[in-house]
Amino acid sequence: MKAATGELKSRLARHKSVYLLASVSLAYFLLFKYVPIWNAQIAFRDFQALDGVLRSPWVGLKNFSDFVNSYYFWELIRNTVFYSVFKMLFSVPAAIFLSVALYECRIFVLRKSVQTLAYLPHFLSWVIMYAILLAILSPSNGILNDIIKLLGGEPVPFLTDAKAFPWIVLLSDTWKEMGWSAIIFLAALIGIDPSLFEAATVEGASAWQRVFKITLPSIRPVIVMVVLLRLGTILDAGFNQIFMLYSLPVYSVADIIDTWIYRQGILEFRFGLATAVGLFKGVFGLALIAISNRLIRKYTDSGLY
Amino acid sequence: MAHKRGIRLTRADRIFHASVNASLLAILAILVVPIWSTITLSFRPNDFIGSALDGMLLAPWRWSTAAYEALLGHRAFLTSVFNSFRIFCQGVATALFLTVPLAYMLSIKTLPGRKLLYGLVLVPYLFNVGLVPNYLLVTKLGLVNTLAAVYMPGAISVYNTLIMKSFFEGIPEELKESARIDGASELTVLLRIILPLSKPILLTIGLYYGVHFWNDFFNAMLYINDNKLQPLPILLRNILLSSGMNEYVEVNAFGEAPIAAIKAASVFLAAIPMLAAYPFIQKYFVKGTMLGSVKG
Repeated sequence: MKAATGELKSRLARHKSVYLLASVSLAYFLLFKYVPIWNAQIAFRDFQALDGVLRSPWVGLKNFSDFVNSYYFWELIRNTVFYSVFKMLFSVPAAIFLSVALYECRIFVLRKSVQTLAYLPHFLSWVIMYAILLAILSPSNGILNDIIKLLGGEPVPFLTDAKAFPWIVLLSDTWKEMGWSAIIFLAALIGIDPSLFEAATVEGASAWQRVFKITLPSIRPVIVMVVLLRLGTILDAGFNQIFMLYSLPVYSVADIIDTWIYRQGILEFRFGLATAVGLFKGVFGLALIAISNRLIRKYTDSGLY
Repeated sequence: MAHKRGIRLTRADRIFHASVNASLLAILAILVVPIWSTITLSFRPNDFIGSALDGMLLAPWRWSTAAYEALLGHRAFLTSVFNSFRIFCQGVATALFLTVPLAYMLSIKTLPGRKLLYGLVLVPYLFNVGLVPNYLLVTKLGLVNTLAAVYMPGAISVYNTLIMKSFFEGIPEELKESARIDGASELTVLLRIILPLSKPILLTIGLYYGVHFWNDFFNAMLYINDNKLQPLPILLRNILLSSGMNEYVEVNAFGEAPIAAIKAASVFLAAIPMLAAYPFIQKYFVKGTMLGSVKG
């Protein structure tokens, strides 16, 4: 026992400089990551800015019940889950398709230029994306509407049309993130043992058979992992995108939990309510991540933490 | 290709390769058309008559740089570029200064309390309490109307820290041990041995932070209401959301170019620093991302 504490002491002494080195980062971390967790208690209070966090009166679960009973509750849950699930259903297959096509392509110039251009939009902000979308979708001078007019149709105000809006959100997200999401699949593809393909070719398998019998099954663990990781963040439907693209006429199909939190909390000053919704989302998200991590451990051989 | 391998391509294989190439060409078109249409829109002359399709095919010698001249000659635009540049530099420096020691600490396997510290870092990553509690903190700290309000809340990203930690863990233990035996302090080990070997990861993580700060409009919208401190994305957003010439004063002040050209030109200018750095850093981020995704 004594020897153990002595050993621990010497290990601590040996690493003193490491703790010292990281102390500023740790102090930052406590201040910027843990104080907000402490502040989250106002979800259970009737927060008054003048009283501060600790002196605002407790109200129990009132903020939570206000949210669950509000007219918007189911609409927000529906929109949020819809966007995150369908974004996954659009962008994961697109990314798999793109990575397999890049992997099979024998023309270096084509492969390189698609790769370079496909990663690029990931680095563009949604403010910039909005301008690009305007150039395509604007009723007065967008290309898509030009084509519609050429074909004799009426121009469609895509961004303010409740029918078109969800498509714009899903397709623009796919366009922006497809290449970036393909990187992880490409990494998995490069790791496939080439002797598998040689053996298949000798056996007389066609290129199509190689893709469906070797390539795709080989990256299945990665696909499962990506899908499960996305399921863990199902309540994050992409604030920046929706916030940049939406407007009053499409609120009913566009509003997600995060945009609602922003409007209630920052614009309407309903801090308690907005925090309660944020906390609801945080707790639910934590549970989902725990579940998806357990499933990842079960179906693949690695975990998130 | 087929002859080199000594195996003849069957008909099915030729169809396969043709469809792979056709798919990639289609994807290339889908990627290029929106970007090209935005670029050509920014060069559209004021007297241009015709459809957007005509505009995309307009000969370069008929392009007009009026939109760019208007933007680059406008004080509000230049001020916001300068603010964004400051946010970028201060933000990346602060973020790396805070992230590197934390990642280094977590990468030392013999460190007492490593599990506890790792948990401490992971909890806020997995449990996100949302907007308002953070808003209360930043306002309480008196950061409102400072550029630090834009980058301080995100100056340590747990995700980036974990990627960096994996990289540090991959550096051979013997290198660090031999330096320690020679009596080097941990700071010396970090500065003399770890960091010189970590250029790819520093560039990648620096890029992630930099892009994030350069693009951020949300923190700026929350915490900055002084016009003189507005970063570029806020100005862009104001320009983009104004639908007519008279709706937004700033746009009205831009003069002789078509409003759509001004909008397109402003985002193109905002994207230029990223486009310039992109090819240079591309080779690093692919490596960095793979590392992060494989090891977590």
